[in-house]
Amino acid sequence: MDRTDDTLREFFAVQAPAGLGRRLRQALREEPRALDALIDKFHVEASERGIARLLYGRGRDVAAGRGRRHAEQARQELAEYLGGRRTFFTVPVDLGGIGEFQERVLDEANRIPFGQVTSYSDLARRIGHPRAARAVGNALGANPVPVIVPCHRVIRGDGSWGHYAFGGALKTRLLELERTTPLLVGCASTRIVCRRGCAHEQRIGEQGRVVFASVADAAGVGYRACKVCRPRDAAA
Amino acid sequence: MDERTFERLAQEYAGRLYSVAYRMLGHRADAEDAVQRALLKCFAARASYSPRWAVSTWLYRAVANVCIDELRRRKVRGEQVDNVEAAVLPPPAGHRLDLTRALEAVPREARMLLALHYVNGLGYRELAAIRGISVNTVKSQLARGKAILKQALQAGGHDGSD
Repeated sequence: MDRTDDTLREFFAVQAPAGLGRRLRQALREEPRALDALIDKFHVEASERGIARLLYGRGRDVAAGRGRRHAEQARQELAEYLGGRRTFFTVPVDLGGIGEFQERVLDEANRIPFGQVTSYSDLARRIGHPRAARAVGNALGANPVPVIVPCHRVIRGDGSWGHYAFGGALKTRLLELERTTPLLVGCASTRIVCRRGCAHEQRIGEQGRVVFASVADAAGVGYRACKVCRPRDAAA
Repeated sequence: MDERTFERLAQEYAGRLYSVAYRMLGHRADAEDAVQRALLKCFAARASYSPRWAVSTWLYRAVANVCIDELRRRKVRGEQVDNVEAAVLPPPAGHRLDLTRALEAVPREARMLLALHYVNGLGYRELAAIRGISVNTVKSQLARGKAILKQALQAGGHDGSD
């Protein structure tokens, strides 16, 4: 033990703000704003190739043959996503019938990582049409599979939300959900780090979950990346 | 664990959890938000709490998880820790300023271990349990983080030696 320890101990001691305990008690008594219940408001239209449309409001799933399997998978993944237990979708989407420009826009929107946002103009730049921000907005507005193709992660350059097919309130709640859901979860016993939602991650018990900021951070303390969900691709 | 017991625990640990979160995030409001989110997660999962686990390990891991994920988001957004607070609050005097800056240079995992170690006096075993790593890794990470801070203290003319 040297003087550095004393200095550091003094430095790390921070006075908690007045009323912290009271505010925390109050927060514990408030009803959590869970999104799980919204799953019943979503319905899907699925073809043999994948999810063709995701709709919000009244209605029912439309699917036949292999499409039924896609619809079931989409429903399950959506429920997990809304419950904060999934950060990516694996269900195939069927974007047949949309134009080439919209396909490029949606493809680029699909690359925006979970929990991050980008602007319409930035997305326009990324697809090689830097002056087409408005056209990008229109293409996203006509996204047939919102949430699964995350057009809610695109906002205006001034930080305001912009239009969202399912309403601004839902966009707020989805972005809020992504802000509070961890992306990379390690298993303390296997020392493997996965993306939240990976089949292996879902088997980790509550007391074995360790969150990491990057795969490199996890590797630095003895964890390896999952070979199934490949978290390195999702988090730089 | 019943609601009342949990509330009492939350009250008891709030200050220490806040100190850890503040030193990780460098911002009062973010630190309070992190503590609140961590406690809400634990509260929701209180039915699955096993007494085989120390309460402190459970709570510290929850707050560490929230803070680390918040740092991931900041890294992606390219934000600097402390920038907001530094603009609002008067600058801390002497070695505190050096340490605040030096702490930003400490890798995240080592910074978390330093905060848990110096705020709460936690030992190697508990730190290892909180971050799900080996005791040897805890020792090497702490040594690495401490060396960076010590160097900053010495560069600032504050002798941290015996």
